[in-house]
Amino acid sequence: MRQFKLSSPILTILPALALIPVLGVVLAGMHNGGLFILFEFFSASIHPSLDPAVIHSAWRGLQITIATALLSWVISTFVGVLLGLISSSIFWQVFGFSTRIAIVLRRLLAIPRSIHELIWGLLLLQLLGLSPWVAIFSICIPYSCLVARVLTDQIDNLDHKALIAIRNSGVNHISTLITALLPPIIPVINSYGGYRLECALRGATLLGVFGMGGIGTELQLTLQSLEFKEMWTSLWMLGVVMISLEAGLSWWRKDSFLTKQSERQLLISMAIMLAAIVISFLWLQALDVNIFSNFQWHPIPLPTLVEIINAFSELPWINLITSTIVMTIFAAGIAIGIPPLGMMLWPTKLGTTLQSAVWSFLRLVPAPLSALLLLLCTSPSISVAALALGLQNLGVMGRLLKEGINQQNDNLYAAIHSSGSGKRLAWLYGHLSPQSKSYLAYAAYRTDVLLRETVVVGVVGGFGLGWQLQESLSSFNWAQVVLVATSFSILTLIGESISEDVRHHLLKSIKREQNPSLQN
Amino acid sequence: MNSSRRNFIFSFLFISTLFVSNGTTWARPKLIVGAIPDQNPERLNRLYRLLSSELSNELDITVKYVPVTNYPAAVTAFRTGGLDLVWFGGLTGVQARLQKPGAKVLAQRDVDANFQSVFIANLNSNIPVIKNQSELRVLKGKRFTFGSESSTSGRLMPQHFLQQVDIKITDFKGRRPGFSGSHDATLALVQSGAYEAGVLNKQVWEANVNRKKVNSSKVRVIWETPIYVDYHWLAQPDLDKRFGNGFTEKLTKTLLGLSKSSITQSKILKLFGANSFIPAFEHQYKDIENVARKLGKIK
Repeated sequence: MRQFKLSSPILTILPALALIPVLGVVLAGMHNGGLFILFEFFSASIHPSLDPAVIHSAWRGLQITIATALLSWVISTFVGVLLGLISSSIFWQVFGFSTRIAIVLRRLLAIPRSIHELIWGLLLLQLLGLSPWVAIFSICIPYSCLVARVLTDQIDNLDHKALIAIRNSGVNHISTLITALLPPIIPVINSYGGYRLECALRGATLLGVFGMGGIGTELQLTLQSLEFKEMWTSLWMLGVVMISLEAGLSWWRKDSFLTKQSERQLLISMAIMLAAIVISFLWLQALDVNIFSNFQWHPIPLPTLVEIINAFSELPWINLITSTIVMTIFAAGIAIGIPPLGMMLWPTKLGTTLQSAVWSFLRLVPAPLSALLLLLCTSPSISVAALALGLQNLGVMGRLLKEGINQQNDNLYAAIHSSGSGKRLAWLYGHLSPQSKSYLAYAAYRTDVLLRETVVVGVVGGFGLGWQLQESLSSFNWAQVVLVATSFSILTLIGESISEDVRHHLLKSIKREQNPSLQN
Repeated sequence: MNSSRRNFIFSFLFISTLFVSNGTTWARPKLIVGAIPDQNPERLNRLYRLLSSELSNELDITVKYVPVTNYPAAVTAFRTGGLDLVWFGGLTGVQARLQKPGAKVLAQRDVDANFQSVFIANLNSNIPVIKNQSELRVLKGKRFTFGSESSTSGRLMPQHFLQQVDIKITDFKGRRPGFSGSHDATLALVQSGAYEAGVLNKQVWEANVNRKKVNSSKVRVIWETPIYVDYHWLAQPDLDKRFGNGFTEKLTKTLLGLSKSSITQSKILKLFGANSFIPAFEHQYKDIENVARKLGKIK
């Protein structure tokens, strides 16, 4: 008996309210002392360094990054699909097991997902030493678990009746699964998998930590010395790659929409992935990255119970956890709410083009860099950290929204628009409304990502669990590392169960409202 | 029957070991060199070939440079044997040596034996120049930033000098300091006014003054710390075993012998911000170890 109900398109815009307190704090702390450096940064974009040594180094770095990203992308997509399959309820139902196994698996997968790839990398480095595989694994662990979650959600949204019907007709289990699950898996690989490639590219900017070089090393090192002209050489190169990747993927999606045969699509995707593996192996070998090096096991002393108890009393938990949650929520609000708000306020062609250009730029700028740029004109606060994180992820959410809208047909929008509503209202109910359910699902995944990304914004002041994790790692204090990593996992699990509840609620209310036309 | 078979297996194994060990001696042994990302790391990354070719000419080995962009990762890479010779900071060097017993301190720069940090302040903050260490208390309640978490000159020693006069890192505004990530970033952020005060490596400060990157109407030095030791070259304990007797000594001599009179060597020294490398000894770093233990950076 609720008095008012929030419709789902409004729900996508509402998080933008987070911008008000954040901007309030940021504007209150404004100062003009850093304008000169800020000007230097932006003017350096027009004349990046053309020094042959800089270009050569960035070019080599770019190749290493792309090759590693390709490899980690294929592995994480493949592993992710497998994990997603076995953590879906349907999978166990088909074989006649309890669906509880699926739920347990799903919860277990939240643990690897909750730890940032940088932290995975530093931990694996402890155990395995310097090896390209440490970098690849550390990117793949959280990424494949994320792909798994997306896929599980897709599969479990399916109509169970069809599946049961197929099974009852006496077909064996495996072919039941294939017949029933292929259709939902293919769009995930096609659309979401392609988008993960860009994420892998951004994740691979981390390779410097493992001594592999890469374009991220160039970015990080030039950021440290504030050599903006040299930084822009790398930023432009990475930007060109990201833009061409985006264009290539959207061409691929359009093309694959023409060929609706799902088996053929799957085969093509598989062939591309296989080719990607071979190419990246050869490429890395040619770049003198020794991908065939073998591992050695380097154990570290595990912390004792006493040490863990001591570490527990050392850290200011309430403070750490609250600031982490506040930072994540504000950043998520900005990242989720702004793209639909902006698109609604300025839905013209020019508006859309300009906004997606801004999104591309925001995706390109790493969060530590945007935090530094923000600090050049405002005082440090948790809001600045949230804004820096939020801005980068805003670029990601904007891209997902635009892609979703481009893939649906225009009929609803045209109908609403021609019935005399304004352009904005028509956009809201014609374009955003059918997208809002899947957009909110991606928003939940993004919030996960934001939580673990709080690790990278120490420049704004040592806030939250993320900074503490870096500090404990750099002190080689394993007891603290264990505790902080556990808190990340617990927060992720709580966040996940909240978002699942909300989703169920939402699904039910949508079903009640517009019963027959429920699209997946 | 059985014994002849066993003989066969043994001789097979024996011969194959010969092959394998021969295989490794045919190729020139490879020395893997690394450096923590500190001053102008991007230039070091691009110009490392100068150093590698110098070392490989002098020592008749292959040298590979592996840039590791994260302090704890560099320490770990040294512990796990991924790096043979590393240019460490004071703290990271001690951390690495404690994790890899027997590691050898080879050399430091002429400037490292008497290293200093400078505390700087934005002029708008009205923080006065400090004559006496105890006056550092004026920094309480100010927005303050360190450099990188594991930096000796940008965090460890300054925090130690603050703690000597009872200033905890929770005494700054917002109950926490910032960690700008690098010396240059600290300077930029204090000069801009984002932070009212901060602390950085004196050498980097002077380099920025010389390059006219410091605006004296906005930022000034308020205090220079007492001297301490900092950066040094650290080598794996087993280099002699792998590269032949006396190798570690030869390597040390090569580093110490770099001189400004040769053009390439002078370029290398400039890259490291040194006039020359001088001998360094473990006992010089005892103070750093004690401070690090007190501040929880070493357990």
